[in-house]
Amino acid sequence: MRRPALRRPGWLRGGPAVVLVLTAVVGTLVVLGLRAPAAPSPGEGLAVAGTPAPALSGPTLDGGHFALSDVRGQVVLVNVFASWCGPCRDELPLLVDAEREWSPRGVRLVGLNIRDGAEAVRALLDETGAKGLTVVPDPDGTRAVEWGVRGVPETFVVDRDGRLVDRRQGVVTRQWLEQRIAPLLAG
Amino acid sequence: MALVLVALAAAAGIGLARSASDHGRQDPVRAVAAGLRCPACQGESVADSRSPIAVAMRQVVADQLAQGQDRDEIRRWFVQRYGADVLTDPPARGVRLLLWGVPALALLAGGYAAVRTLRPRAGRARPAAPSMPDARGARRAWRVASVGVVALVVSVAVAADRLDPPARPVPADPVAVAVQLAHDLETQNRYDAAAQMYQEALRERPDDGVRLRLAFALLRAGDSTGAQRTAREVLAREPDSPDGLLVLGLAQRTTQAAEAATTLRRFLAVAPAHPAAAEIKRLLAAQPAPGGP
Repeated sequence: MRRPALRRPGWLRGGPAVVLVLTAVVGTLVVLGLRAPAAPSPGEGLAVAGTPAPALSGPTLDGGHFALSDVRGQVVLVNVFASWCGPCRDELPLLVDAEREWSPRGVRLVGLNIRDGAEAVRALLDETGAKGLTVVPDPDGTRAVEWGVRGVPETFVVDRDGRLVDRRQGVVTRQWLEQRIAPLLAG
Repeated sequence: MALVLVALAAAAGIGLARSASDHGRQDPVRAVAAGLRCPACQGESVADSRSPIAVAMRQVVADQLAQGQDRDEIRRWFVQRYGADVLTDPPARGVRLLLWGVPALALLAGGYAAVRTLRPRAGRARPAAPSMPDARGARRAWRVASVGVVALVVSVAVAADRLDPPARPVPADPVAVAVQLAHDLETQNRYDAAAQMYQEALRERPDDGVRLRLAFALLRAGDSTGAQRTAREVLAREPDSPDGLLVLGLAQRTTQAAEAATTLRRFLAVAPAHPAAAEIKRLLAAQPAPGGP
């Protein structure tokens, strides 16, 4: 009658239970690990709303000068683009149209042109009917990094007080623009 | 047993030291950039990626180092803009900490159990005399298990080394490389050279997508006859290819304006929603009637 007790010292008696608990814990962790990337969507989930927009000022493509602080009081769309980026080419006409339509109500569009050549950009503006666009060249892309840009195209909405309202990675849609801009114009 | 453990620990230490010193020694920009994740790529560090954003981020790192910022200040600057995910080794918190903690705890518990079984305790030696054969069995089980674990680790290490290399040659497809090169050349406005690369790619593997890009490159390089010829090759197989019609029509404008207008109208009819459609409409509107002098 004493033998089983001897064969199994006290700490081993709970062995199967410990193994079971450990397995359950590891299983839960694996499940959590698999689901983790889905929960906090990287990039898009970055809390931008309400923070002051980074500075953006410098010479423009047409020889002028642009400063974000100078257009305080206007709603500013900052579109990060490049002539080597196909989707940028596709969305430019939409952005230019939006500016044309809303500029009387105080909407301004600025292109931040990253890692590009002046000639290539001019050709792109010609092709897409965006000739009048204010373009701030960013030949080494460091301004874009200051804005936390993850790729092109990317578009930021800055409100009349110079605060970031939203950002969009990838091509914008008419609906997205309307949803972001209309409330800012109403207020 | 102890020897094996010491050897394993030493090997792990050497491996860690080697991977840690890998990026520290060379230039400081690379050292900082290696700790940043490229936001436009999958699993590549800013130091290794060729994406334009990563190149710009390297420039920022270099600028800030030149301004005297240290590694931690630069990392904080990037976290403010890109979030903690920008670090390749984000601080362990919550579930991540558990992921490290549980295996460590399991190892500790296993080690403790092993020590208890393998080292007979003086105090209980005498009364436990009848159980000696059992204890020996348990010890043997532990030894077999530890040899098994070591064998598993070694085989995984060997297999991982064997499995790794075949994955590498795949991206080095000469045609894909040529097309990529041509694309890069186009972004530098070197359309002549780009057209040559496309032709090279086509010699290896005929493909209408590449042929269309060749036609565009030829057009931009000013070779409108070459562009027309290439576009017609595509149109011969696929008469309604929008890009084929587009490039053919644009190329014809330099030589036969009337045919150009016809081709471009066909392009508009085939692909009214094409990104270039609006521009072509404007072009056609600016020109006089197609049948004109």
